[in-house]
Amino acid sequence: MADIIFVANEINTTVTDRVFKMVENVIHMEHGSVALVFLIGVIFGGIIQYTRVDKFEKIAGFSMLKDTIIPKMLFLAVGITTIGLYFMIEAGQGHYHVKPIMVQGLVIGGILFGVSMAILGKCPGTGPVSIAEGRVDVLIGAIGGLFGGLVFTLYYDDFFKPLMGESLGTSILPEFFKGHEALTAIVFGLAVIAVAIAIPKKELFDEADLNQLPDNQRPDRK
Amino acid sequence: MTNRLPWWMGGILMSGLLLLTFSIYGADRAIGASTYVPYAAALIFDLDPEKYSYINHIKDSGSWEGVMLLGVLFGGFITSVFITKSFRVSLIPTAWKTYKNNSVLSRLLWSFFSGFIMIIGARLAGGCTSGHFMSGMSQMAISSMIFGGVVLITLVVTGRLFYNTKGDK
Repeated sequence: MADIIFVANEINTTVTDRVFKMVENVIHMEHGSVALVFLIGVIFGGIIQYTRVDKFEKIAGFSMLKDTIIPKMLFLAVGITTIGLYFMIEAGQGHYHVKPIMVQGLVIGGILFGVSMAILGKCPGTGPVSIAEGRVDVLIGAIGGLFGGLVFTLYYDDFFKPLMGESLGTSILPEFFKGHEALTAIVFGLAVIAVAIAIPKKELFDEADLNQLPDNQRPDRK
Repeated sequence: MTNRLPWWMGGILMSGLLLLTFSIYGADRAIGASTYVPYAAALIFDLDPEKYSYINHIKDSGSWEGVMLLGVLFGGFITSVFITKSFRVSLIPTAWKTYKNNSVLSRLLWSFFSGFIMIIGARLAGGCTSGHFMSGMSQMAISSMIFGGVVLITLVVTGRLFYNTKGDK
């Protein structure tokens, strides 16, 4: 009898229980405290909101080549981080966490991702920031994403895993320049920073947002 | 106080956050932002991990990113209300009206559809803008460079074909 009640309880775990389980998982992992992980999220959301790169006008605008803030900021962040990270890891203060080369998965996934990023005008990191500022269309996109995640999980073994193909390892660029690893990191980092600076700055503004600001604070009227 | 940060300031700050997350004093891992979606789907639809191997596969990354996501929502909300003052409820972006159409239904259907294939794409590739483009390229990972190149090309081609940009300068 007791067993039956126990089983019934197991089945009736609520969404809240499962959210607690999620937090518990993070507590047992060696990847920062719950407070730190939450704080990383707050800063991440804050930077994205404060630079306005979550905007449809920025991401879809870039797909139309009418706004270049996204590539400029992305490439700059990548360039600085490449150099910083290389020396941080050399000093034993961090590790690489490289994703595997699964050519089919990367190419098919990249195509689907590029198409949807142009249409939705968000990505999975910037989408939540837009939802947090009241964009209902993005919330509908997120619900679509949940169903995408559901379909992926349900058909992972039978369909998606074979589609991704075999892993060709986790190579990184310096492996091809043996003996010159540090130089590779510096040259790659500086080249990416140079690209960020060289991309001509273009901006597409959203009148509806700017109208909420006082005249002297509007970035388009300076 | 300014209510917009310039792109270079955003790049420097984001780089600082990436380095903090990678370091052993931070989280000793990369920032990612797409694994939480199938994790949330499993959580909401109460999928059985015994039956679907992917749930166990993403258990750690999914819960880490899930907690981070709560922070992202909080940080985004606070910043939009108090700093950028961009908080408002809206159904259709301004540039969608200019370059696509005025139909709310069209925008919502396209949003649902693109959200759906976005997550399938990100999970097939094993990452998104955060995990591959930012964190991956910063490690000079070949996988992330392939992904980044494919995304950049398809993004710009789609933008050209999907939106009506003819007729303006």
